[in-house]
Amino acid sequence: MRAILPLLPGIIPFGLIAGVTPITLGYSWIDSLLGSLLMFAGASQLAAYQLLGEGASLWVILMTVVAVNLRYLLYSASIAPDLAGANRTARWLAGYGLTDQIYAVAKRDYPAHQWTLPERLAYYAGGTLSIWLLWQLCTLAGAIVGQVIPVFWSLEFMIPLTFLALALNTLTSRAHRLAAITGACVSYLGLDLPYNLGLISGAVVGILAGLMCRRWWR
Amino acid sequence: MSLEFLTVVALGGLVTWILKTVFIESSGYVRLPNWFTQALEFVPPAVLCALVIPGIFKGDVGLVRELGAVPIDPRIPAACAAIVVYLLSQRTILTLCVGMAVLYGGYWLQ
Repeated sequence: MRAILPLLPGIIPFGLIAGVTPITLGYSWIDSLLGSLLMFAGASQLAAYQLLGEGASLWVILMTVVAVNLRYLLYSASIAPDLAGANRTARWLAGYGLTDQIYAVAKRDYPAHQWTLPERLAYYAGGTLSIWLLWQLCTLAGAIVGQVIPVFWSLEFMIPLTFLALALNTLTSRAHRLAAITGACVSYLGLDLPYNLGLISGAVVGILAGLMCRRWWR
Repeated sequence: MSLEFLTVVALGGLVTWILKTVFIESSGYVRLPNWFTQALEFVPPAVLCALVIPGIFKGDVGLVRELGAVPIDPRIPAACAAIVVYLLSQRTILTLCVGMAVLYGGYWLQ
């Protein structure tokens, strides 16, 4: 649990935003809390809320959630050997509780110690429980505060701002920058297309642009 | 409680849980195909940027809905300011604060 402490403060503003945005879209605090309990994956929650507000169809929202959360496949495959042998309840709970933060500290600390499976599970459970509790509390706080904040404060605009910061944080190479710019441009050109096709094609063409840049530009 | 919202987060939660659990559950030493791991690298920049665009250009922000439209949508200067601040400082919370401040400032100036 101590290992996860330095990563906890970063969760607070994000959790508050995840709590407040459903309220700005006209949903209740119960909805907001259910969103955090059922999904427990911040960026995809925000993506789903923004698309709900835009009136997107369920399929588009689910596809976007999958895209935003695809990285968990990678985490899941990478952490599987460390959790192998745990019983089904533990495995399912570990899956639900998988986050960027617990993945990062577990992958750092597991190889450095000769822990047994119960010790590894205890470490994972302690860290995840702290993150989970903090996330739900921040969601609740955000939702309650959101109910007294007037609409003209435009807090829903914090979703694209958050995505902007998260996206800029990933631009580590020329290929990443090309993927980002292509994604944005295609999405802009397709703004008026039905079924959020602009968003979907922006994502797909952006990923392809990054891959092609990686392959041919080096 | 809204049924529409509940449906979205319940199904969204289900697909998220499947993505998170599928390889833990297979409990093996799975290796993802190479092309997939490579493509995965570009998912965050491409998807997040594609998502930012409708957030800036689609519909109206709460300010405009409540208090009326202005010639330049304040979300555009706000987003530009946020980009500059993040690139210079790499600080998310500062970026959010400046973005919101420019959103308000840009609206009231017009």
